[in-house]
Amino acid sequence: MFRFPLFILVTLIVAFGGGIMISLYALDATQGFGAIKLGAWEAFPALQTVDADPYAKSHRARAGKLLYGSAEGLTFTASVDDDGARLNAGCRYRISGQTPPARLWTLFTADNGGNPAAVKTGHPSALNSWTVLRQPDSSFSIEISAAAQPGNWLALPEAGTFRLVLTLFDTPTAGSSGVIDLAMPKLTKTGCGNA
Amino acid sequence: MLRIFFAILTGLFGAALLHLIIILSLPHFTGKDAATRVEAEGDLNNFTLLGGQYDEAGLANGDPFVRTAVCSFDVEDAPVHFTAKGNVPFWSIAIYDSASNEVFSMNDRTSVGGALDLLAGGPIQLTDLRKNLPPELQQAILVEMARPDGYAVLRTLAPQASFDEAARNFLTEAGCEQFTAR
Repeated sequence: MFRFPLFILVTLIVAFGGGIMISLYALDATQGFGAIKLGAWEAFPALQTVDADPYAKSHRARAGKLLYGSAEGLTFTASVDDDGARLNAGCRYRISGQTPPARLWTLFTADNGGNPAAVKTGHPSALNSWTVLRQPDSSFSIEISAAAQPGNWLALPEAGTFRLVLTLFDTPTAGSSGVIDLAMPKLTKTGCGNA
Repeated sequence: MLRIFFAILTGLFGAALLHLIIILSLPHFTGKDAATRVEAEGDLNNFTLLGGQYDEAGLANGDPFVRTAVCSFDVEDAPVHFTAKGNVPFWSIAIYDSASNEVFSMNDRTSVGGALDLLAGGPIQLTDLRKNLPPELQQAILVEMARPDGYAVLRTLAPQASFDEAARNFLTEAGCEQFTAR
């Protein structure tokens, strides 16, 4: 005779436990639909607008970040390299190529929350379009590793996974639907450990 | 055995329903959204500079080269006039409503003479102003707010350390004041 309350209990536990867990999971896993993916780089041009989907609105209400307006800039984030492997501070990477047209851009190594990563004091953790060293054809190549490199170098945190955040300021990319044709710089792994 | 299966199935339907309710209603009561954080920064109608580290309200510049100032405002009584000028390589402003949706954004290339001169107001206030535009607003960009309260984010860039002071001056001298016609 106690089986009926037990079934109700099971139903309630599954409903509330499952509902809350999948909601939290969904909000942590993604910033919503409407991402544009260019190689390893991912951006959400409509995240700050009223047209953002319900998942995006929930995510941004929970994260509480000051987002860039469409005339300000567009932020691209990479958490994997071009082969799809998670970016890890134990490895070395190279960013090469060109950014889509923008008046200025900034690039920094970030922790998994998208905030600037803690690197050793004095080590460079950010570059921008004014400070980067370029090839004669205005393309650039940036080495990302824990040990110092000649040329453009971005330092990495001690250990663990990280992200790269590339922000284009005053870019037609943010408002254009032709964004899919744009080329982002390549992000390749050049080695891990001492190899 | 079949009944425990039905109990779990009913639970899964309940979970899906609860998931929808949580996702749809979360933006209204997180208390952590950008508009609430900006409001917690300080007084209305005043640009507050953010630092590199998260402050008590939970806001920071985010990007090592970006310098940000935020201002929470309310156009219920009077329109709000945003002004700023200075010698910075780039600036941009975005106006958001209280639900953190973008209302308007612009950068220095789309401004008149490189200076920020923008007026946000309600539809009726702006109609009144347009009928008899005061001389100090001849060049201003008028932005219509569907809802009276919102916040503004003013950003500038300091690509090199020597630009820090110019960026700081630009942001501290920026105005976010209620506009009263003289």
